[in-house]
Amino acid sequence: MTTALEVRGLTKRFGGIVVAESIAARFEAGRIVGLIGPNGAGKSSFFNLVTGVVPADAGAVLINGTDATRLPMHARARLGVARTWQHVRLFASLTVLENLMIAPRRYHAETPLALVAPGRHETERRLRERAMAQLEKVRMVDFAQRRPGELSFGKQRLISLARALMNDGNVLLLDEPMAGVEGPAYEAIKALVRAEAAGGRAVCIVEHNISFVRDLCDSALFMFQGRILRAGTVSELIASPELTELYFGT
Amino acid sequence: MEFLASMAIGVGIFVILASSFNLIIGHGGLMSIAHPIFFALGGYGSALLARDLGLGVPPAILLGALVAGAASVALSLPALRVSGDYLVIASIGFQLGLLQIIKNLDWTGGAGGLANIRPLFATYTIDTKLAYVAVVGVLAVATVLAVRGLVAGPYGRAITAMRDDEEAFRSLGRNATAIKVTLFAIGSMFAGLAGALYAHYYLYLSPEQFEILYSAAMLTMVVVGGVRTTWGPALGALLLQVLPQAINFLKLPTALTGPLQGIIFTGLVLFFLFTRPQGLLGTRWSPPARPEDDDDAPPAGDIMPPKTGVP
Repeated sequence: MTTALEVRGLTKRFGGIVVAESIAARFEAGRIVGLIGPNGAGKSSFFNLVTGVVPADAGAVLINGTDATRLPMHARARLGVARTWQHVRLFASLTVLENLMIAPRRYHAETPLALVAPGRHETERRLRERAMAQLEKVRMVDFAQRRPGELSFGKQRLISLARALMNDGNVLLLDEPMAGVEGPAYEAIKALVRAEAAGGRAVCIVEHNISFVRDLCDSALFMFQGRILRAGTVSELIASPELTELYFGT
Repeated sequence: MEFLASMAIGVGIFVILASSFNLIIGHGGLMSIAHPIFFALGGYGSALLARDLGLGVPPAILLGALVAGAASVALSLPALRVSGDYLVIASIGFQLGLLQIIKNLDWTGGAGGLANIRPLFATYTIDTKLAYVAVVGVLAVATVLAVRGLVAGPYGRAITAMRDDEEAFRSLGRNATAIKVTLFAIGSMFAGLAGALYAHYYLYLSPEQFEILYSAAMLTMVVVGGVRTTWGPALGALLLQVLPQAINFLKLPTALTGPLQGIIFTGLVLFFLFTRPQGLLGTRWSPPARPEDDDDAPPAGDIMPPKTGVP
């Protein structure tokens, strides 16, 4: 099994608040790992440290064996890290389709030179096709020309997942992909995440919906106050009275 | 006729300035007030290259524009690597500091200004003035179209996404800093072009023409015409260059006309911000559409585990 993402001794403090304390973990290609814990445990902060939103105080982030600790956010994404956000964060001024077309790992128009590059129309056409294929996967093709603000929160979630999947790298970080999603979309996301993992991605999911995590994840990490308290299967973790107490704060 | 030609050249130069300022603050969302100093760098650069180094005027104009674009990187690269907010403060320092240097150097003419600039056309007749109007007109239209070309299509998509949510944009693998520095350099290059065209027509440059206050005039043009519209800044430049001249025809005492112009400029900005924030050519602003009723989702924020999942 190949390690797609590895963190070693990852530490981050904001003043007196510890959001990460010597976190060490490996995420293998093809495996789905759940990250669970109460609010404020440092789950989203962990994603922010891995993707480079905030720099770590100490420790290392290795993406497919490359030390990315000092790399800026965009360079880490190009090494293959895709993510979604708890608050979706689609681009409001762009259409749904354009939201996906801006998101491949390598974008052909990073500089104005692309406006005169040979073959640019063909590149655009292929990119549009790829984006439409991704929208097809989440059944959002009908909304390709709409603005995200016009759509329900659940649909925006699905679109943000499709946007992340435009990055064909092998690390996928999903921040509460199920918040606000129910019904047929629920099963669709589950099937999609499974298929992506089977396709060779290492998936890490932050999710409060425990049944979703149990159904989907091969293993889970329980986080509390910036530390990984325990690793195991989801069933093991939620069977622990001690962790359940921490989770629900009773 | 000569008066009209001069006015047309003034309008053309400000069309270039307003359009390029629109690219920086409107499309790029980059808050800078240093546009007048790049206007100055293009003017002084081109004038000095032609006068003291013996370069032909057309290549000097081109190089003057490039000098302004290159100088902008010295401001934007360090400022934007930290954060977008630093650009405002850094641009104030850059504008004030560089103008102070220009005022105190011998070879820029100091506070007295730079004279004996070589003209584009050897003779000054009404024909050559009209030819200059044509040159400025063509370059002004070319600037407007270049800005439009830049912000449409796949590069424009990146600019828009960056302006909407920079962090999400970066997380997709897009280098936001590179895009900002590039936009800023292109906008500043056009300001430099305007400066060079100014220098080789009026043949005299005074540091006072490039004071920080002129960024307010350029901003007024952009706001009145319409932020992020193609022709809005051009219309704004036309109105705000012609209106003050019209006031001169009223034959009011000079003690009145000066303050009156200032009042009109300020009044216009306030009037437009309150009544028509999208400017003259902007499409009508409407509040974001209400999301459709959630047929497939509970209210946002409802993230409690479902009954079955609770251990």
